[in-house]
Amino acid sequence: MKVLIIGNGIAGNQVAFTLSQQNQEHEICIISAEGVPEYDPCSLPYFLGGEVEKKNVFRKKMEDYEQHNITLVFDNKVVSIDPEAKRVTTDKGLEIDYDKLVLAHGGDLFIPPIEGIDKKGIFSCKQLIETEKLRSHTGSCAVVIGSGAIGIEAAEALKKKGYEVYIIELFDWILPTLFDEPAGKKLAAAMEGYGIHVCTSEKVLRIKGTDVVTSVVTDKQEIECDTVVVATGVVPGTALARTAGIETGRGIQVNQKMETSVPDIYACGDCVETVDACTGEAAMFQLKHNAIEQGQIVAKNILGEKTQYLGAHAFARAHFFKTHAATFGKTIRGTECLLGESEVIEKENGADYLRVILLDGKVIGGQAIGKYADTIGLLISAMWRKDDIKLIRSKWNSISKTKNPGKFSQMRLGHIFGFGA
Amino acid sequence: MKTKREQLRIDPTKCTACHLCTMACAIKHHGIHGMLNPHLSRIKIHQYKPQEVNVPEVCMACENAPCIKVCPVNARMRISNGSVVTNVSLCIGCHACVYICPVGSPEVHPETGQTLTCDMCAEDKAGPWCVIACQEGALTLSDKDSLTIETARNQAGRYKRMHA
Ligand SMILES: Cc1cc2nc3c(=O)[nH]c(=O)nc-3n(C[C@H](O)[C@H](O)[C@H](O)COP(=O)(O)OP(=O)(O)OC[C@H]3O[C@@H](n4cnc5c(N)ncnc54)[C@H](O)[C@@H]3O)c2cc1C
Repeated sequence: MKVLIIGNGIAGNQVAFTLSQQNQEHEICIISAEGVPEYDPCSLPYFLGGEVEKKNVFRKKMEDYEQHNITLVFDNKVVSIDPEAKRVTTDKGLEIDYDKLVLAHGGDLFIPPIEGIDKKGIFSCKQLIETEKLRSHTGSCAVVIGSGAIGIEAAEALKKKGYEVYIIELFDWILPTLFDEPAGKKLAAAMEGYGIHVCTSEKVLRIKGTDVVTSVVTDKQEIECDTVVVATGVVPGTALARTAGIETGRGIQVNQKMETSVPDIYACGDCVETVDACTGEAAMFQLKHNAIEQGQIVAKNILGEKTQYLGAHAFARAHFFKTHAATFGKTIRGTECLLGESEVIEKENGADYLRVILLDGKVIGGQAIGKYADTIGLLISAMWRKDDIKLIRSKWNSISKTKNPGKFSQMRLGHIFGFGA
Repeated sequence: MKTKREQLRIDPTKCTACHLCTMACAIKHHGIHGMLNPHLSRIKIHQYKPQEVNVPEVCMACENAPCIKVCPVNARMRISNGSVVTNVSLCIGCHACVYICPVGSPEVHPETGQTLTCDMCAEDKAGPWCVIACQEGALTLSDKDSLTIETARNQAGRYKRMHA
């Protein structure tokens, strides 16, 4: 059987290597739009900032593909899929047949329609090749457009490289999809403390310069700069799937076996729309751990093991200089359309901050900065188990060593919430 | 998928919080840590005074360890004895592994900011020092099926799982 994988990223490699480790008989081929072995996009900002050496960005070496009998076709971007003929076509005119096809081509950088966004001096750090260009660029003042996790990490990296850095965010606070307002504002204050200019509720209107960037014009100011980083998000690559008549929503739609609506075509990673593992709602989290798990599920199903994907996990971290923060599940904004009684528990101690979001007494999300973040895993577990916080609150003091030997996590949770105090 | 391998098991009902295990761990690893600091143990004991309960906390080396998947620089790795450790030549100290851990296990080195977890005293023929040190039977070695993250989460709470 010939398994063809589109995309040499995290998800695609997980499929290929899981398949090859479990069964040597299949012919496995990966088509890559890029010209390098698998690398980790998550480490790119740290490569940019100089914390990670180039060799450590890679998750695979060329030998790994050879050893696992995986054929890698470089520098070919698949442009169309013919599910009748079971054949894909690349931009270089290459045609490749398949028995099973896996779409693992991730997402594309969203480039907002801003006047002048095609000038020299404008970069992104979604791909290695782009990040390398930014890394070797010599500038002194950078404007980062977008304050998602990637924007924040890019800003830190550029600051470390000695740039004067501005972050422009359209929303009222930074990291708006991951953190609620109080945490977002605290993180912004922390960034300002490290000398990064944070501009929220501000819209970039124009990028000026004849050939090379000279300034960024927003609805509030004009910032003279020589470098612009576009970090306005990643959109799932659905266009390719539509050439095969595959159903798409926000991302490529898949069932629990990660099969698309067209037979013998699977999809995984940043390009798919799945469900939230905890709530069962439609979800697009576009995170590495989800790409890995989805890749494993695809491989197992291709091998005939009937494994179901239970859903993706909303978990992310924000880390810059000495500030550490984590978030999981829903933000309070995310609960606005939910039925039930929501409650927010907040704790604050200097720069440390904890915010837990409860729905009908059960944890459905949380955000933490500093010391509190280090125990956030216990809250994630509480969300998983659907622990009833009301019950823990009322029983916490009476949990005893002999009577409830299994309730250790609840003791720790009660401690985090400060129920005993 | 489960594999059988030797690993640590904890029984909080037997723990008296004598801290012999944490001392043993700090001594065993002081060379790697670059300091002998009893707080720098890869095993921690949480003491809850009102309930008189002591809960030892150590990396369970989950079968489907989430820390390996969330590490942005691929520094978390499984070594041959099954333990999951941080490769300090790669770790940037972002704490992702701390946050995702179902038991909150990784410790952060105060000077390097990098994370540390139990390596079961890898390569030491005597076995894990904490197990040797524990006089109460709260820490033992077992070769039962390894834990998955789901079991690690659930064993801590003995609650029903949400998914099949
Ligand atoms: C800068 C940055 C930082 C991040 N940090 C984190 C983090 O800290 N934690 C976290 O969980 N996640 C993080 N992510 C997200 C994480 O990297 C992605 O979720 C993960 O890489 C998704 O894997 P994937 O295989 O679906 O896509 P990718 O890894 O993006 O791989 C897709 C591959 O397909 C190729 N491709 C695309 N189109 C085609 C085509 N038509 N034909 C052939 N090949 C094609 C692309 O070139 C690419 O190599 C980060 C992402 C970025 C960009």
